[in-house]
Amino acid sequence: MEMDRESGKLEQIVSQFRSKILHVILNSRVPSLHHHYQQQEPLSLSRVRKSDKWFNLVLGDRAAALENLNFSLRNLLDPMIIDIILVHHSSCSSSVDNLYTPSAAVGSPSDETVIERWVVQYDCARVNATPNGADTSSSYKKTYKKSIILLRSLFAQMRLLPAYRIFRQLSSLSQTYNFDLVYKVSSFSHPFSREEEGAMKEYIFVPVEAFPGRLCVSVTYRTSLSEFNLEPLVSLPSNIITDYVGSPTTDPIRSFPSSEKGFQATSFSIRGARPPSPSPFQRPHSWSSGFHKGLPLMQNQSLAGSPPAYRTSPKPYDVVSPQSDIYGNRIRNRLPTLQQATAYDEYQLSPPFSASASPSPPAYLSGANPVVAHHCSETAPVTIPFPLTGRNSFYLSLNSSDPSRHSLPPLSPRSSKHDASSQESPSGIRSYRKLEALRAGESPSGLSINYSAHKMVRDTKDDSGRFSGLLSSSGSPRIGFSRSSSRLSFQDDMDDCEFSCPFDVDDIDVSDSPASQNVEGKKALDFTAQSVPVGKKSQDAAVGMLVHMLRTAPPLRQDPSCYSTHSSKTVGYEGGVGTASGFFMPCKTADALEELKSYREMRDLLLSKSGTRVVRKEEM
Amino acid sequence: MNCEVCQLKELEVEHFEIREVLRCILHTIVFHRALGLVRPKDVDLELFEITYVQCGDVELEKKIDEKIDQFISWVEKHPNKKSQICLSFYEVKSKQPSWFTNKTERLYWEQWYANLNVTQQPKQHSSKSHLTKVVVDPGESANEERSSRRAMVEASLREVLFQIIKFVNEKKDHVPPISEGVIYFPYEITMPRFRVRNGHDQEDAPQRASNHAQLIIGLGKLIQLG
Repeated sequence: MEMDRESGKLEQIVSQFRSKILHVILNSRVPSLHHHYQQQEPLSLSRVRKSDKWFNLVLGDRAAALENLNFSLRNLLDPMIIDIILVHHSSCSSSVDNLYTPSAAVGSPSDETVIERWVVQYDCARVNATPNGADTSSSYKKTYKKSIILLRSLFAQMRLLPAYRIFRQLSSLSQTYNFDLVYKVSSFSHPFSREEEGAMKEYIFVPVEAFPGRLCVSVTYRTSLSEFNLEPLVSLPSNIITDYVGSPTTDPIRSFPSSEKGFQATSFSIRGARPPSPSPFQRPHSWSSGFHKGLPLMQNQSLAGSPPAYRTSPKPYDVVSPQSDIYGNRIRNRLPTLQQATAYDEYQLSPPFSASASPSPPAYLSGANPVVAHHCSETAPVTIPFPLTGRNSFYLSLNSSDPSRHSLPPLSPRSSKHDASSQESPSGIRSYRKLEALRAGESPSGLSINYSAHKMVRDTKDDSGRFSGLLSSSGSPRIGFSRSSSRLSFQDDMDDCEFSCPFDVDDIDVSDSPASQNVEGKKALDFTAQSVPVGKKSQDAAVGMLVHMLRTAPPLRQDPSCYSTHSSKTVGYEGGVGTASGFFMPCKTADALEELKSYREMRDLLLSKSGTRVVRKEEM
Repeated sequence: MNCEVCQLKELEVEHFEIREVLRCILHTIVFHRALGLVRPKDVDLELFEITYVQCGDVELEKKIDEKIDQFISWVEKHPNKKSQICLSFYEVKSKQPSWFTNKTERLYWEQWYANLNVTQQPKQHSSKSHLTKVVVDPGESANEERSSRRAMVEASLREVLFQIIKFVNEKKDHVPPISEGVIYFPYEITMPRFRVRNGHDQEDAPQRASNHAQLIIGLGKLIQLG
């Protein structure tokens, strides 16, 4: 009975000893587990776990991997062989590149070298003489004490072996290397080759007597690791972005760093062409999402861009070759901006910078260039043309050959006075409305027509980054560029834009109340009474008038003839009008009657003046 | 009980290296003898690419630093001398009361001697020394010499640490049982070469255990035989 209890204790000591050694070794050799260890709280004896109390060595929580390993190596008689393997990633691929090209990482060549092999074994081959009862009780205590000493010496020696230096380098969070330290735990191992043995040395710890066997620990290690040239890759700064260009909500009219500062800014080819090798990776911008996604262009490129890590093959769109010694320059290398705005799913990361080296002028500086060249820009202001061709067109197009129509103000909540094409509205009445009825075909999502409203003048700021307050005080309809995210949306790329029609207004709509409706209805009447002939008005004003008319139209009557429009297409919008009117609160009957009377008076007036000419309101 | 003695390999160090070298050696030894519950703490040397382990006990660290300060101050007074620092572990035994003494005695069961040969004069030296060598502007060759010398010291220090580990592994039987709640065994740090005798510092003390320690060892053996 006593013997059984003692043997049980010894078995427990042996089992825990193996677990502890595994914990010590992996904590001192595997960077990921070491980080886990470092995050432990300071030692507080009252909160020490039971597992830490074993052998009086507090190592902190065990990673889940260790627990699994302990479970899989339950057989105490099997040796526990721990291989510490140094994995060298070739220049074609690195652990970081794998982020971009997972498929490439699968078959990427890598050298693996066992730099240390630890063997922990409970050796029962030599059966000691059975101790008597008195000795047995103290034997496990001595075993335990000696095990503690052995673990102490193992812990200290791990810091003196050559692999520790590599471990510390690879554990550095500020640097990434083309090496990795991995481990393999098993109960058997492939013997070393003769060549490997020649480069290794063995150290055998003095075995600890643990009746009926003994605990044996040995290590075979490479005496020199200088042949493994650990090259630090470009270290990603953890916090500072030196050339931060701001978020889309900041002033878009800002000069980007010029080339003389050694700063070459490009954007990726939106045609899917690969960026040049000199531009290894994208600087993570604060507004970019999915940083590591969609960069198949980075295949075979090292994230760091260190000279040996990537090829500097010239490409037609190469801008600048990287400078390997300056992190900032390396990450700023980009492709020159291109001319077409196409889908940019894969390149939604890099903002365009002033491509001083590119032949084409920066898109954001050119008011005459309606096409957004850098669709993946997130900060550059974009001039969106507003080519309302004809008085009937409500269709908004980004592509227009008429530059004069495109000199819209840059999209900024502050720059609401730069619209050269703006027309002063005589009424100055402003209001914001959500007008799905005015949707003319498929419009680029993210665009909205914002009609400035006198009540909404105060809404020049928008926390959401939208430009609902963009419209100037002119009262004429503008095309506001509204974006829910910090990415530009263009007519070809509407994946994530939340606006579905150009007339979507932002979340500002103060005219829902009946009171506001009535007030605006009256003002609309005033407006119509003072209206000038349609043909003499700008299209902006025409649309504005139409909106007013529609808005003030009585909801009960669906007769389109009650509405005064400026476009023949309004016929097609009858249903839409009805729908639009559905957005308005029903007017009182008295108001409707008054309005009808006014219309009749106007008609009579016109008829009297023109004689036989009959002007149908619905034709306007 | 036997008193195991370990004479560590002699190190040639410069004055400014004393503190780091001694900290490394003494803490490594104590870590192997602090068999109570500890949370090891890795400490990187500033002068050498060596990491050693501390127990993480603040009091222990403080005491070791004090002793090192004493050692350094003595070295400053006695330049260009081989010096020695001794770390001893003992057990406190209540001595059988006799008409000689009624005190408790210390039974040393282990002693470590760290031997240092301080080669360079300290910056603040006593007025007696006229062998001060002040290097104002070392040339390139001096820098190379310094770096090679530093590498040698580092290699020697690493050897000393391996020596400690080897000694600890080979000799375990003499270590007393671990007491509950005790982190490390009672210890003392002395400078036997400078042990005061008759009120004077003893220079050029023989490289052996101190007389006091030897006496204790002898008595311990007698008791065992008895």
